Amino acid sequence: MKNSLLTLLAMTAAVLLIPRAADGHHGLAAFDQKTVVTLKGTVTDFHFVNPHAVVEFEVKNDQGQVEEWKGELSSAGALAARGWTATSLQAGDPLTISGYRAKNGATSLWATKLLLANGQELKLGGGN
Amino acid sequence: MTAALRSKLTGLLVACIAFAGIALGQSSQTEEGIPVTDPTVIAKCGGCHARDERGNMQRISWQRTTPEGWQEVLKQMILLNGLSLTPSEGRSIVKYLSERQGLAPEEAQAVMYDIERLSHEETGIPTENLRRGCTRCHAFARALSWRRSAEEWRLLAERHTARYKLPPSQEAIDFLAKAAPLHTPEWDSWSARAHASKLAGRWLLTAYIPGRGKYYGEMQVDPSGDDDFQTSVHLTSVNDGSRVVRAGRSAVYGTYAWRGRSKGSDPASPAPDDLASEAREVMWIAPDQSAAEGRWFWGSYQEFGFDVKLRRASSDPTLLLLDRSSLKTGTQANRVRLIGDHLPTPVSPADLDFGSGVAVRRIVSNTQDEIVAEVAVAADASLGKRDVAFRHSVLPKAIAIFDRVDYVKVVPDSAMAAFSDQTHGRGYRQFEAIGYQRGADGRPHTDDDVELGPADVTWSMEVFYADKGSNTDSVGKVSSTGFFTPAADNPDANFDVWIIATAKSEKNNNGKPLVGKSYLVVTVPTYTFNGRRYVRDLDRWVDEGPAS
Repeated sequence: MKNSLLTLLAMTAAVLLIPRAADGHHGLAAFDQKTVVTLKGTVTDFHFVNPHAVVEFEVKNDQGQVEEWKGELSSAGALAARGWTATSLQAGDPLTISGYRAKNGATSLWATKLLLANGQELKLGGGN
Repeated sequence: MTAALRSKLTGLLVACIAFAGIALGQSSQTEEGIPVTDPTVIAKCGGCHARDERGNMQRISWQRTTPEGWQEVLKQMILLNGLSLTPSEGRSIVKYLSERQGLAPEEAQAVMYDIERLSHEETGIPTENLRRGCTRCHAFARALSWRRSAEEWRLLAERHTARYKLPPSQEAIDFLAKAAPLHTPEWDSWSARAHASKLAGRWLLTAYIPGRGKYYGEMQVDPSGDDDFQTSVHLTSVNDGSRVVRAGRSAVYGTYAWRGRSKGSDPASPAPDDLASEAREVMWIAPDQSAAEGRWFWGSYQEFGFDVKLRRASSDPTLLLLDRSSLKTGTQANRVRLIGDHLPTPVSPADLDFGSGVAVRRIVSNTQDEIVAEVAVAADASLGKRDVAFRHSVLPKAIAIFDRVDYVKVVPDSAMAAFSDQTHGRGYRQFEAIGYQRGADGRPHTDDDVELGPADVTWSMEVFYADKGSNTDSVGKVSSTGFFTPAADNPDANFDVWIIATAKSEKNNNGKPLVGKSYLVVTVPTYTFNGRRYVRDLDRWVDEGPAS
């Protein structure tokens, strides 16, 4: 009985210690963590979802062409704990966003810092 | 993950919580327990759970939970502690404990989404500590599907601290002891007034199937034993008139907890979402037994299902549903089908009421089961949801009046699908595009937004970091109806994917088609980490034990 119970408890402990996929389902290997890029743009959409919230935004490049970018944030749950809501960013909002760009050259980054037009910083959650 | 494995893992938690104290320490209950009087429970459980002079059985008498909770406890007692039970004894014990130490209907209603195996964003968790402490491993509803004495919650927290290396949390004990105590007014009231299940008869049924739309029909319930029933269901699609015929059996616990199984009268095809598939039925029956609602579900990840609502049939004219979800302002000659039961013939436009600004011009046709009416919507009609009435039968918030579609939302807005392997089937996902109008606050994505019903869209997918337009077949395909099928070959990797709905006619202020997106993670069914194997379950990963 004792051994069975200890086995049961050990197995249960393992179950309870597993982080949820929603709290960080992939690492940052796809991003160049050695270089931080900073972009100024305009929000086109904001997805307040798990496993990662995503802000889509447009940036004018040096040639004046509009590029579509995507910034990955931490989970909606983690952001909510820092006061974020589904309307924290809305289409048309100017933003300044810094982060690690995707290694493959895609117009995607893992956000590390996010500023609104008025200079207010929206605090990012774990993993950012 | 197999049902047996899922049950095993869930049971590990339940059994640990329920019985750890017996071996590791004695509790000192100060609250009044719930005496156990059932001879089978006493005979089968009394060997370990001592019964005092009041009839209280150690640990058992200070806890209440759902039929699923008690069932899992029994499974673990069989699996780990050598309890020997016949199927009949097992059913008897679960039935007794679910009725005498179950949840009140109001208590159960709050956690039905977990029992119905619905992916659900839990927003009511009061603090970050509780969120992180509980929902990293299981739905918060899992905790709230139990009611315990303060001492039992203290023991639970103590075990978590000692065994799972979680920081001690008086906050969690205080919250759970207050939010989910053993003795509640709801339970006291329900215990006093609970009565026999009198569910036999004809029930009117409406259902919604993601990707397929609205259905209507009826369910005939016939008694087949003490709180057991046989069912026969006929459903008709509002969209295409196709019919579904199903038959099944069900047990009812505590007069409100419907747990059954049913399948189509015709054999199910190989299509994973075939509506003839065998399904589990979970429903919550209203305390007055006049209505019920729940989910009938199937699939490797319980991802397919009917969302059902039932109401007891009567001889009165009854509206069940409308074929349309919304009407645009300033439009004429809109045809609306009103599906019902015992509708008289003929009816006149004056019998129908869509509220101010919506005029019923004429009745196009009329049978006992439906009315087709032609309605006009004034240009200045009030926007938003409104009731629709036929004489005294009212459908609350049955139709939305709108002047434009402001955005398209893909639901679910985030989801998981899974590749298959030798022991796990593929996990599919049905998406829907729903049109919305900004609410009174003028801002999109807020609580007052008005849902307008399915939007006419084209579907596409985009794999994160992949070149635009590149072939995504190695990840999967999304059909013209928004149904995602993972690739047959397991690439042994995860993919983040946008599932994209592009409106065919509705455009934004810049003249571009409205676009909605859902964040889909297409993932492996299992993975190994630190020598242990993890399997997918709904929206989380569960430890399956040491990798073989």
